[in-house]
Amino acid sequence: MKLFKSITLLMLLACLAFSAPTFPKLNNSRVVDDAGLFDENQKINLDKKLANHETNTSNQIVVVTVKSLDGYDISDYGYQLGRYWGIGQKDKNNGILLIVAPNERKVRIEVGYGLEGILPDATSKTIIQNDILPSFKKGDYYNGVNNGVDKIMATIKGEYKPAKPTNQNTPIGFLFPILFIVIIFINVIPKSEDKKKRLIPAIISGSVAGIISWVIFFVLGVSIFIAVIVFLLTLFGSNSNWSDGNYHPTSGGFGGSDFGSSDFGGFSSGGGSFGGGGASGDW
Amino acid sequence: MKIVGIIVGVLLLLAALVVLPRINNVPKLDENVNMYASQLDNQYKRRSDLIPNLVATVKGYASHEKDVLTQVTEARAKVGQMTLTPEVLNNPEAFKAYQNAQDGLSSALSRLMMVTENYPELKANENFLQLQSQLEGTENRIAVARKDYIEAVKDYNLELRTVPGKWVAALLYPEAEVKQNFTTTPAESATPKVAF
Repeated sequence: MKLFKSITLLMLLACLAFSAPTFPKLNNSRVVDDAGLFDENQKINLDKKLANHETNTSNQIVVVTVKSLDGYDISDYGYQLGRYWGIGQKDKNNGILLIVAPNERKVRIEVGYGLEGILPDATSKTIIQNDILPSFKKGDYYNGVNNGVDKIMATIKGEYKPAKPTNQNTPIGFLFPILFIVIIFINVIPKSEDKKKRLIPAIISGSVAGIISWVIFFVLGVSIFIAVIVFLLTLFGSNSNWSDGNYHPTSGGFGGSDFGSSDFGGFSSGGGSFGGGGASGDW
Repeated sequence: MKIVGIIVGVLLLLAALVVLPRINNVPKLDENVNMYASQLDNQYKRRSDLIPNLVATVKGYASHEKDVLTQVTEARAKVGQMTLTPEVLNNPEAFKAYQNAQDGLSSALSRLMMVTENYPELKANENFLQLQSQLEGTENRIAVARKDYIEAVKDYNLELRTVPGKWVAALLYPEAEVKQNFTTTPAESATPKVAF
């Protein structure tokens, strides 16, 4: 498992290295107040409102305030941030970012591909001019953002319905049966303390796991990966961990939980994309 | 002898492991480029569709700015005849012509928008404000689509010019060629001057 962890870490690092501007962390929240414009209550209020909207429509709206745009144009910064965080559901691209840069005195509504139809740029511009900027000019950021969010939600309300909860809405759901098979294999094969004698069972179980995952996933990379993991586990894994009485498989729990939705109160972005839709304003 | 055989076998296996996953990369990346090209073309078309309305609205308030208005109309007519098809992508001259036509329209439009600064009544017109924000949004999308396209071409060209991909391409896709990419024009990198 250490190997798996280090690979994931490496991939994360690689992703980080390629993103151009420095973005604030999403931190499982719909209100990312990096510039510190809101107090706790205001944040909770906004978050609740946005969470409610997502449950009813599956649209993901995120309010973000940034200390600095790093010298980027706010429209350039906005779509990159939206893509980086992956706001919106993957199949609908229904994410919206409301970006406030108080130091540059700029605000932007960044609209995901899937909402460009119902929230055209001219409408975003009107919302900025009529609902957001009047409060911003008075220094009242919370009211401006709150009004803007209300107007955006009212505009995009009817466009999408929440997805019906299904048992397997993430590929992660598929991993559990495979993991199960893997564990069974490791338990069934007689373990020998002698590493050399383990080699053949390891090769067999590795290739069997690889074939099974090939049948299920039909992706070469994944099945090779699983095959290698099973091979290594069988070869080097200590038998005492797996076959003693302490191991209780939690059967029946697989696939029941709903990873894609945010009913748990936390927030996870859905992987939506952006193409530069929306409008900006300054004050 | 046996050891040599094993070493050769392992080396062959390693080579297969490196090459096999990349065997479809060239056509995949090629399709990727085509997709981004048509997205970009779409956004350019969308900008072109906005222009008749924009010209008509500006004419209502600034009819004696004939020069700028004709320039925009002419530049739009030129753009209207061109589409970014895969053939254009592989033809350096056609690609250059496409880029020049779009850049011509960009600069004509920015001149027009600068001229409108002198007409406060026009700037207060609701219809004009709408068109202006639509144009702004479209220019934005063009910028994004251009960036995506440039990235896609970069990936494709890198695959063709660096080692495992180069071998695969020479073996299986001898017809694949390095593609044209956008260059920023002097007009694009210069900040527009506003005369009062």
